[in-house]
Amino acid sequence: MPPFVLAVTRHAESIFGEEMGMLSFLTNSSVVALLVLGIVMFIARKATSNMTLVPNKWQNGFEALVEFLYDKVSDLVGPKVAPKAFPLLATLFVFILVSNYFGLLPGVGTIGFGHGNGFLSLEHVDRPLLRPATADLNMTLGLAACAMILWLVITIREVGVWGFVVHTFGPKGGLKGFVGMMVALVFLFVGVLEIVSIAIRPVTLSLRLFGNVFAGETVLHTMSGMGGFIGSVLAPLPFYFMELLVGLLQAIVFTMLCAVYIQLSTAHDEEHGHDEAGHDAH
Amino acid sequence: MNQLSQVADQIATDFGLAWPKFIAQVITFLVVYLVLKKYAFGPILAMLETRRQRIADGEAKLEKIAKDLAEAEANAKAVVDQANTEASRLVKEADDSAKILAERKQQDAIHEANQIMAKAREAAQLEHEQLMSQLKREFGRMVSDATARVTGKVLTDDDQKRINQETTAEVSA
Repeated sequence: MPPFVLAVTRHAESIFGEEMGMLSFLTNSSVVALLVLGIVMFIARKATSNMTLVPNKWQNGFEALVEFLYDKVSDLVGPKVAPKAFPLLATLFVFILVSNYFGLLPGVGTIGFGHGNGFLSLEHVDRPLLRPATADLNMTLGLAACAMILWLVITIREVGVWGFVVHTFGPKGGLKGFVGMMVALVFLFVGVLEIVSIAIRPVTLSLRLFGNVFAGETVLHTMSGMGGFIGSVLAPLPFYFMELLVGLLQAIVFTMLCAVYIQLSTAHDEEHGHDEAGHDAH
Repeated sequence: MNQLSQVADQIATDFGLAWPKFIAQVITFLVVYLVLKKYAFGPILAMLETRRQRIADGEAKLEKIAKDLAEAEANAKAVVDQANTEASRLVKEADDSAKILAERKQQDAIHEANQIMAKAREAAQLEHEQLMSQLKREFGRMVSDATARVTGKVLTDDDQKRINQETTAEVSA
């Protein structure tokens, strides 16, 4: 008899079924997303209610996290842009990390509806009640879309529409004459490529995160279905530790890429401004 | 183009992409973002800034206090030194004054004692002279009486006067 494999579907399942129309948006991953929202809200509320200069343990822990993240964001995007970019980047990191780790909890992906073969026991779970939020392309695409929209807002607020256009299509190097025109044409083409690159950022961001978490889920489920009861406990154990690392790494990668995008689109203005100031001074 | 659309539809179907689900997830994330931004990151960053400011103020105050303390100690030392100098000067002046006063009082006492002694000497001299004069007169009278009794004659005033002068001259010698 071949080993039974707990298959993970590529899409999140609607809790009430796709035929429920209005309620079809409530998928097992959106339930987890709501739980993550609840967890994050609970911790944030616990940490920020009755804040004092001498912090309690919740406030102290949350402050340490915020301070650590703020320093990292400030290093990446610069101290000028950090106050604007920090809420987005910190929220992305916290939300993705908690979502990724939530997927490692027992019961996520293994409790649900399916083909039964006994009291409260299923041979195969067709519709799990819980699925890691980041193992749903809707969520990762939503995260990437939000990140890119807020990236655009931060960039426009920082450098302005014209600054963004100049940064994207404008020639660099200050060459004049015929060579300057040729360089301008090249940079115009580079600008078009840049726009294409920006357009596909949400796709790359979302697919990378989805792919890693989904792959991790699949590995864990596959391992859980191997070697009987003992095997189902021992086989996935190393992969749990690996998934702990992957969950953290993916949260860092997603957040850092967004930070780099913000830094690339806003740092140019500062340098440009300095150059102009330098030219003015000369 | 049509083929691309079909591929996109296929991907969307395979991965369960659907606008309601997508929007639900976006809303969930935006709620987290907005709530954290307003009620968590904002107050925490403000608190960190307040604490940082407090610490910076505390450090500045500590430096100021240390500086003030050093200045106060220096001032106190200067005041104590000045007071010591002044006290030494006053003690020396008082000592000098006391010496001068004692000298003056001693001189006054000597002078007064000399005056008292001179007056006493003068009084004794005067008394001595009075006694001598009285003695001379008494002695003269006694000599006259004795002469009158020895000679048996009544002495005249001139005799008495002459005898008295001679007797006085003898007594004085």
